[in-house]
Amino acid sequence: MLINYFDDLEKGIVSSINDQGGKASPRKLYSLEIARLGKRLYSGSNKVAWCGVTAPFDLLHAMGLTSCFVEFIGAMLASTGMAGSIIEESDHAGYSSDACSYHRAIMGAAMKDLMPAPEILVGTTVPCSGGLAVIENLARHFDKPLFILHIPQGDSDSDVAYLASQMKDLTGFVTEHTGIALDRGRLKAVIEKTNEARGIVNEIFDLAKHCPSPANSKDLNNFLITMALFLGSDESVSLARAYREEFAQRLSENRSGVHDEKVRLLWIQNRIQFKNPLVDTLEKEYRAVIVSDELNSITWGPIDPDDPFEGLARRAISIPFNGVTQRRIDHLKQLARNYKIQGAINPCNWGCRQGTGTRGLVEAGLREVGVPVLNLEVDCVDERKFTEGQFRTRIEAFMEMIQTRPNPWQQH
Amino acid sequence: MGRQTNESLGYGCAYTPLVMLRAAGYDPYRVLPLTDSHDQAGLHLHDNLCPHVKKILDRAMGNDLPVLAGMIFMNSCDAMRRLPDAWRKVREGDRTVLVDLPVIADESAVRFFAGELRRLAGVLGEWSGSPVSDDRVKECIQEHNRLADTLSGLASKVNAGAYKGGRNTLQKAYAVAATKPLPEAIRYAEDVLSSGLKEKLSGSLPAVFLFGNILPDTEAFALFEASGARIVDEDLCTGSRLIQPVRIEDGEDLYTGLSRAILGRISCARTFNHARPGEIAQTVVERARACDAKGVIFHTAKFCDPYLARLPSIRETLRKEGIPILVLEGDCTTRSIGQHRTRIEAFIEMLG
Repeated sequence: MLINYFDDLEKGIVSSINDQGGKASPRKLYSLEIARLGKRLYSGSNKVAWCGVTAPFDLLHAMGLTSCFVEFIGAMLASTGMAGSIIEESDHAGYSSDACSYHRAIMGAAMKDLMPAPEILVGTTVPCSGGLAVIENLARHFDKPLFILHIPQGDSDSDVAYLASQMKDLTGFVTEHTGIALDRGRLKAVIEKTNEARGIVNEIFDLAKHCPSPANSKDLNNFLITMALFLGSDESVSLARAYREEFAQRLSENRSGVHDEKVRLLWIQNRIQFKNPLVDTLEKEYRAVIVSDELNSITWGPIDPDDPFEGLARRAISIPFNGVTQRRIDHLKQLARNYKIQGAINPCNWGCRQGTGTRGLVEAGLREVGVPVLNLEVDCVDERKFTEGQFRTRIEAFMEMIQTRPNPWQQH
Repeated sequence: MGRQTNESLGYGCAYTPLVMLRAAGYDPYRVLPLTDSHDQAGLHLHDNLCPHVKKILDRAMGNDLPVLAGMIFMNSCDAMRRLPDAWRKVREGDRTVLVDLPVIADESAVRFFAGELRRLAGVLGEWSGSPVSDDRVKECIQEHNRLADTLSGLASKVNAGAYKGGRNTLQKAYAVAATKPLPEAIRYAEDVLSSGLKEKLSGSLPAVFLFGNILPDTEAFALFEASGARIVDEDLCTGSRLIQPVRIEDGEDLYTGLSRAILGRISCARTFNHARPGEIAQTVVERARACDAKGVIFHTAKFCDPYLARLPSIRETLRKEGIPILVLEGDCTTRSIGQHRTRIEAFIEMLG
């Protein structure tokens, strides 16, 4: 069923690109890569690794595995409108309705045979306990070998060495269970592409910082977290280049992502994954654009292609969700300064203890730099719980408040 | 003998290496989620976060704490990871440390956690003004094991004896062990063991195995008993998992051995065996069988992902084994247990 969905999606996008004489927006190319990833996952002809969010996907790619964080499935089911019935399956099996709906959808999909059986699973302790538990449950469900990456909270040399050592062990684990040996030359080539994409993505984010921004609210929706799945591939570099060129061109033509941009917003944590009118409301009624997402930020340095494990470890440790909340708050403040943010929206995905747990501290931290936060109560995956009218009222009140207060980044 | 500070260090997780706190001259004080403080934690932590953690924060915000020289946090789960963030906000001057904690116990994890324990020793040495010596840690392990063995003996007596009020007497001993200086805790447990349990329960009640996480209130156990449940063994982090013995192989490096002992102990759901995914379900079955339980009561704090995520497989495994299970979710107050009384009674009636 899902292989057909991804196949149709790919064909539709390719056909659309052909109709446009081979031209495509970067967002369309992004969707094309999503469709192709879905096909690889569901084709039955690739060796699949289901992983946690901070797994080294480029390392696994270098070893010939199609790897993906499991939350991708939850997001994909939400975007196709299928999540509700699948979450019901996990509810019937006894999974708590207080848990994260990404994870409930994943377990429901596994029980309904909507997830391909992996060769291996790679759990990561960051970002969350819930995600790790789901990986363990999937390992039990599929009866497949499980590897755990403990991402340390700190970034001391010994912390980095510990994680780097685990990643080396991971390559041995992959070899043991798939028969695929690590080719250091191939890994070097993959890491060089990772670095190239990393550099271009940094440029994309720099371009997006312009006032007005060349980005609209949807251009970079889920961008970097998904891009992580493509890192190390030619496609990741092509995709990044397409974004860079598009944004540069828009800037050269004085075209902003949202016409007559008036308000610049920061989206905290993940976007709402099902179709909803909130972004359109922001753009059309308030000329407000989401110019930055918390997870759209390069927090790590280039990785040494000749000895990549330390760099891969530093990258996993560096994500803003790891470590103390103050680190996350400092990162959000930096984004607020860099993008001249006037307000932030935190969906507070129901069931997310990690991302939403300290929302009061995040709100207080951003207030220190003059950025108010709208804390919503959204289930970002389960559309059935979405009450549009209530959210619209909250958004309206928030935007009216922002419009009546001074822009914290304008000199008076 | 090391220098005794006569000060207490707070902690909130059963994985806390208590012997090191004592070796640094401090009395460990478990900040149990028992308080009349107002519900204020929601100012900083989301409402759907574990009530155990929120009640600990409520105690901090409501100044419902003894004088503490510092607070030790373990990175055991999302909620516990967020607690020090909020604690530092509401008690800015407090000394705090967060100790990272692996979720598995392979050699690599044991070595890493040993490093964390050494780091903790350094922090505690700075706080106390006196280095934590290996010899003192070893002495404290012996003292700790005396308490653990006494509590284990008491638990065995209660489990086997069906004493009236036995379960809440045992829970009181756990609470004393968690919050009082070690000599007092040992003395208390030894007194109860030698003379505290007399009257047996009348009649024959169905045996129940209780497992889960946070259930510190002695009244909760009185209510179980009043509901007709004869708990013959339990696995709770505020119960038998709280004070577990530390056994280190002869010749093993002290911190590596301590690390191995803590990671290898009877575990909370957050720690698991990656070579046997879902092993917790089989463990529950084995524990229930070992104590001849006719049924299992699972009690968890609401929003506890490590337990709730594993519950379906536990339920399925128990069902296959023909062992009934009753699932109770609570907010760490007796009030929530009280609301479950009818369900507990019905469950016991069904077992009988």
